[in-house]
Amino acid sequence: MRSIPRLRGLAGIAIGAVLGLQLATAYAEEPSAAQLQSEMKAMREQLRQLQEKMQKQDEVIQRLSKPKAAPAAAAAEAPAATPAGAAQKEEQLKQDVTDSVMREIQPSLTAANKTFPSQFNPALSLAIDTVAAYQEIGGGNFQFRSAELGLSASVDPFARAYAFINGTSDAVEVEEAAIITTSLPYNLEAKGGRFFADFGRLSKFHDHDLPFVNRPIVLDEYVGGESQADGVELSYLTPLDQYLLLTAGAYNKIGAENFRVSNFDPRPLNRFTYLFRPATFINLNDANSVDLGASWAYTPKLDSYKIDGTEFLTDGKARQLAGVDLTYRYIPLAEAGYRGLIWSTEVLYNHETFNTGSETDPVYGPENAVGLYSFVEPRLTRNFYPGFLFQWVQPINGVGGNTLAYAPYLTVWASEFQRIRAQYQYLDAPGAHESQFFLQWTAIIGSHVHGFRDR
Amino acid sequence: MKRLTFTIAATALLVLARLTPAAAVINVVASIPDLADMARHIGGDLVEVKSLATGVEDIHAVPMKPMYAIALNRADVVVVLGLEAEHSFLPALLEAARNPKIMRDSPGYIDASVYITPLEVPTRLDRSLGDQHPMGNPHYNLDPVRMKDAARAIADGLARNYPQHEATFKKNLADYLATLDAAIARWTVEAAPLKGKKLVSYHPDMIYFAARFGMEAVGIIELRAGVDPTPSHVEELEKMMQQEHVTFVVRELHYPAGLADTVAHATGATLVELPVMSGGRPQTQTYIDFIDYNVKTMLQALPGR
Repeated sequence: MRSIPRLRGLAGIAIGAVLGLQLATAYAEEPSAAQLQSEMKAMREQLRQLQEKMQKQDEVIQRLSKPKAAPAAAAAEAPAATPAGAAQKEEQLKQDVTDSVMREIQPSLTAANKTFPSQFNPALSLAIDTVAAYQEIGGGNFQFRSAELGLSASVDPFARAYAFINGTSDAVEVEEAAIITTSLPYNLEAKGGRFFADFGRLSKFHDHDLPFVNRPIVLDEYVGGESQADGVELSYLTPLDQYLLLTAGAYNKIGAENFRVSNFDPRPLNRFTYLFRPATFINLNDANSVDLGASWAYTPKLDSYKIDGTEFLTDGKARQLAGVDLTYRYIPLAEAGYRGLIWSTEVLYNHETFNTGSETDPVYGPENAVGLYSFVEPRLTRNFYPGFLFQWVQPINGVGGNTLAYAPYLTVWASEFQRIRAQYQYLDAPGAHESQFFLQWTAIIGSHVHGFRDR
Repeated sequence: MKRLTFTIAATALLVLARLTPAAAVINVVASIPDLADMARHIGGDLVEVKSLATGVEDIHAVPMKPMYAIALNRADVVVVLGLEAEHSFLPALLEAARNPKIMRDSPGYIDASVYITPLEVPTRLDRSLGDQHPMGNPHYNLDPVRMKDAARAIADGLARNYPQHEATFKKNLADYLATLDAAIARWTVEAAPLKGKKLVSYHPDMIYFAARFGMEAVGIIELRAGVDPTPSHVEELEKMMQQEHVTFVVRELHYPAGLADTVAHATGATLVELPVMSGGRPQTQTYIDFIDYNVKTMLQALPGR
């Protein structure tokens, strides 16, 4: 259709050129009146011919600019056309239109679909977690807890991988970096690398994902903070109608801050830590459900160890760490975004031999310790989640008294990606009977996925 | 000896009966009841369909229950609304389900949005603009005409996985589309009084419904999609609604009632409470019943009727 104005323009230029040429010639030769009359006549004839030509061109243009009208008119004049023929014509027309549209948009599609190497870069996220803390005894400070960089992507058709690299105020470390299979048969899944071992519930949460400011004391004391472990894990989703997930693992040790076992030195098989965990889910009804799990971590023999140059002797006996976790959820389906309640409890039991004597005159004795935490968190609105955390922990090595703590807290979600949390904690521990105040501000940027484990 | 032979034979029969596959029913799991209803119509007797959501939920906040992982583990195909509508629960459930057949981009992953022309495709992606869906507004299930394309995608997806039943799926699809077309024609006539009316909804999930029936969705109560409103936003929204003479405030049933009611009262608009999926109300068990309910509820709420 762009050719129409162009043709018209050309015709105008041609007329102008002819007229201009004739006039120029006339002035140059100073002709007689008869000559002028004759030339005028010739010009009129040329003009008439040009007009005829333009008219014909216009007709052609009109015909060309109405291509769809002709078949429609023809169809109207051909009443004998069969329904099958009409359908075929309609299909043809659709095809023509599709082809035409595709020709138009194909360059854009091609441009949009161009690949470049960075398209295969993993999904990135960054969680920033910062806390202002004040303790009656120790005073206050601002704690830059972490900036945690998350990366995840498929490896190939058989595996995916992810990593969390955590920068704190004094170090940068690989918190997790693991490969997970995606296509093993028989509902099996294998995981290898450094990851949070499938022990209990909250020991698998990153600090900034916890429902309150600090990790429960029992997890810090018995597990060693996050259940970070270098090793392998195999889990099996049983083919039952009841959800039952069985996990078995073998690791150097469990616990990011469990310094009682080396993460580096080679060791015989009886110095590794082995884990077994069944976990199930009971759907009471649409709104009420219970997650129930049990964990058992077993280290057949523990060697003596050093912390900050001090040697701690052991008699090479086994360590057993067991736990039961229960989470009750009330989530009314129609109000899941702004109503609900979670009550979660975890009880841990540790059995381990400690030296209660001196380095020169060791006295080994088995210690059984129990600790627990329990919290309840009702969801009053979409933004406000108050909660209450209770903790009670026996000392793992039998030295000193029990620790008791309770902490009301309030989480305010500005959006799904940012929250502020205020928490008061009363701590009653050997050597520390104090009130503690925390204000936590957490934000996440970049890629964001909702993990199944972090439910 | 006879008893032993009988026992062995009976045991063998029992084992054989256990090993012999039952009638090959195709296990379909749909993310929402609208898609489950369509899959039932298109698959007919060949399919057994389950829906993860019951219809009363916010599609962006369906609880991630482990029992859903079991359903997905057994599924032959999964049907999803797509456009990242199920981002908060489905990707994690698919990982937990350990079923390579239905992982994203596998043949068993049927994305009902593949033929959909979405609205509100963002031109800039930034979290300051709220909980954006990069491929466009995913709530197209409220537009019965677009859902014809979703039905086609389901039929094509089933045929891709079970080419031997393609003719059946095509025939069932044609039958269903004929029924849906008749309903659409009826709704178009019935909904004529809604034309030109303006509405504000809690979340931007009414735009397809509004556009289909000639209404205008002029704002949302949320500050941005997925972000709760601030007092100043509500104030500005109310001013705008009064200037624009907004007729309806739509509260999607999974959002809190209080604020929507307050906004409606403050502006003189009529509060309408609507489900956003079939199953959201007891009388909306099928997709056609669901749209029917929404059209009728809007009509009943029209001032002066």
